Amino acid sequence: MSDTSFDLIVIGAGPGGYVAAIRAAQLGMKACVVEKAHLGGICLNWGCIPTKALLRSAEVFRLMQHADSFGLASPNPAFDLAKVVARSRAVAAQLQAGVKHLLKKNKVTVVEGHGKLAGKGKVAVDNGPTLTAPHIIIATGARARVIPGLEPDGDLVWTYKEAMTPKGFPKSLIVVGSGAIGIEFASFYQALGCQVTVIEMMDRVLPVEDEEISALARKAFEQQDMKILTSASVKGLKKDKDQVTVSVEAGGKTSEIVAQRVLVAVGVSPNIENLGLEESGVKLEKGRINTDAMMRTNVPGIYAIGDVTAPPWLAHKASHEGVICVEAIKGLNPHALHPRSIPGCTYAHPQVASVGLTEKMAREAGHEVKVGRFPAMGNGKAIALGETEGLVKTIFDAKSGELLGAHMIGPEVTEMIQGYCIARTLETTEAELMQTVFPHPTVSEMMHEAVLDAWGRAIHF
Amino acid sequence: MNALPRIFASPLARRLAAEKGLDLASLAGSGPHGRIVKADVESAKAKPVPSAPISGQAEAIPNTTLRKTIAKRLTESKQTIPHFYLSVDLDIDQLLDLREKLNQRAEGFKLSVNDFVIKASAKALRQIPAANASWTEDATLRYADVDIAVAVAAPGGLVTPIIRKADTKTVAQISAEMKALAEKARAGKLMPEDYQGGGFTISNLGMYGIKSFSAIINPPQACILAVGAGEKRPVVKGDQLGIATLCTVTLSVDHRAVDGVVGAEFLAAFKKLIEDPLGLLL
Ligand SMILES: Cc1cc2nc3c(=O)[nH]c(=O)nc-3n(C[C@H](O)[C@H](O)[C@H](O)COP(=O)(O)OP(=O)(O)OC[C@H]3O[C@@H](n4cnc5c(N)ncnc54)[C@H](O)[C@@H]3O)c2cc1C
Repeated sequence: MSDTSFDLIVIGAGPGGYVAAIRAAQLGMKACVVEKAHLGGICLNWGCIPTKALLRSAEVFRLMQHADSFGLASPNPAFDLAKVVARSRAVAAQLQAGVKHLLKKNKVTVVEGHGKLAGKGKVAVDNGPTLTAPHIIIATGARARVIPGLEPDGDLVWTYKEAMTPKGFPKSLIVVGSGAIGIEFASFYQALGCQVTVIEMMDRVLPVEDEEISALARKAFEQQDMKILTSASVKGLKKDKDQVTVSVEAGGKTSEIVAQRVLVAVGVSPNIENLGLEESGVKLEKGRINTDAMMRTNVPGIYAIGDVTAPPWLAHKASHEGVICVEAIKGLNPHALHPRSIPGCTYAHPQVASVGLTEKMAREAGHEVKVGRFPAMGNGKAIALGETEGLVKTIFDAKSGELLGAHMIGPEVTEMIQGYCIARTLETTEAELMQTVFPHPTVSEMMHEAVLDAWGRAIHF
Repeated sequence: MNALPRIFASPLARRLAAEKGLDLASLAGSGPHGRIVKADVESAKAKPVPSAPISGQAEAIPNTTLRKTIAKRLTESKQTIPHFYLSVDLDIDQLLDLREKLNQRAEGFKLSVNDFVIKASAKALRQIPAANASWTEDATLRYADVDIAVAVAAPGGLVTPIIRKADTKTVAQISAEMKALAEKARAGKLMPEDYQGGGFTISNLGMYGIKSFSAIINPPQACILAVGAGEKRPVVKGDQLGIATLCTVTLSVDHRAVDGVVGAEFLAAFKKLIEDPLGLLL
């Protein structure tokens, strides 16, 4: 084998691609990743990680503002935007270096440049060598979706990249789209004192979440003075020197909102261009690559994982698909990813986390359900933390006791949802969950109580 | 200590299997390390569960409500009712003779052997009312009316329409009524009042050449009479070998409600009526 021939080539080194390459190396394959920008992809450089670093600053700032209620003094809390952003970039850089180290440790070859399919078993790299391998994984991710009339300009109309590295702090911000990304930025800017208006086309914020959780989230955001317009759509945009005017139609009425900046967060578009997909005959559907459960495209030897394939567009989904794909190539007969077992988290204040079916979906699917709820108000640790805004909601199949879905809003719920994910993966019923001993005092006791409550047995409420 | 091998199955799979009455040991697990998961139980449910492997391909004919009812009632009958069986041969030469004559004379009807069997059973039950009965936990019920259910093949299964108060009806009336009920049954048009109730059942497979058989009791009744084919057989008549048309009938009896002697008395009365058939016309 020469330096350009491999067992596996991965195009794109995001959480899908680099994880696939490492798993391949673990299984004894000679693997290569081609990356044109940064190791770690969007997730590490422009997505999950830097946003969480920013949100941490917002959280500390919020606590400083409430220092008094903890018996502490923090007079005139203030922030230095440049330093907040610099910290976020430093965190991303540290992790990028970490991925580089991991790939090296696993003897994965990293080739810099734009990669492209170039005939059977071949990948051409711009200004570089042509690589060969019997298996090629496309893991090129996605970018911010652009909608006509709201094209980002890098100055007044932002995508997440500008929102993550602002040059100045806007006094007011319009966020178009109330999915996880939109809401996280809305939460960050609002916490630091910006007047934020969220515009959502659907009738509620965080539209993929359980309706009850959506409603609670909206209430919490509005109490923080965030403005939220639902069932609303942007009709036009007028730019001035340092502000924009957005016309919004809601309930048959059109109104104008003025703000210094607009963030467009209306989903992502898969990166399918200039990859040689058409020439190779790879089938696309709705602008993304079509795969089977083992991440195979219609063309033998070509696979696709992560954001370039079907939603949900999440880093952990990309990584899991990378592992499944490689294990299937090795003939290990891995388990297909169950879309309803992929948790989703929003790291706003309060946090939101969920897995499985919403109550409405469960009922529509014909399940006779048992629903349990437990509010943070009834949880000792939440009261000690001073974070009593929250709810844990569980949805069980009444007959089999299967945990169909779990939905949480409140302190640390993004850290806790994995408990329910494990329960679902192991196919536990309510009995094992009731039997599990949860440590006291923890916020996670809410999870236990929400299970008990589904059977009318909650103790502390 | 643990003699039985542990079966690895998810809690949900265990619960679903218990609900469906599936034996976990009979399932193959598709989860990690062969663990049995929900999907395995669900796919097992979709397949019929044969006790032995099916050879070749099999067509799955979905069970109709009727089929399921039959299966449930007969299984319950065979499993919970202590059956015993009594057989007797009937000489039906005279009966065939009489039938022949009546049919020649008759206009608009044609009597079958079965019509006479119904009538004879009805009359015999009137004579031995203890056989016209049902067992219940608290009491043995003895019916006032003689209502005879007759097994008829219908599309999708067996049905048992009823000739009510058969002892009070003429053979011709029984014959006409039976014809109408059988037609309705074959068209799948029986109404609940046509088949609900009855104190005694007749099942006749004579027309298929069956010599004799034992029927499963039609609960809650206590007796069912299985009628075989009439055929010429060598018989000993007064130390002489002769030929007669014989028909073997077998009575299945619920021993909880009806004892052997009562069953034997009923069959004796029945035999007498069949072998001296003019009495049936009275
Ligand atoms: C602001 C923001 C916040 C987010 N927060 C979260 C979160 O909290 N949790 C979560 O799970 N997800 C989050 N996401 C989503 C997450 O980032 C993506 O789902 C994830 O990065 C997808 O991984 P991937 O490997 O498929 O693609 P990507 O991470 O997009 O990686 C693709 C890589 O391929 C490279 N590439 C593309 N084309 C080529 C080519 N032709 N040749 C060579 N290289 C190429 C790109 O440069 C990129 O590095 C967030 C996203 C954003 C934008």
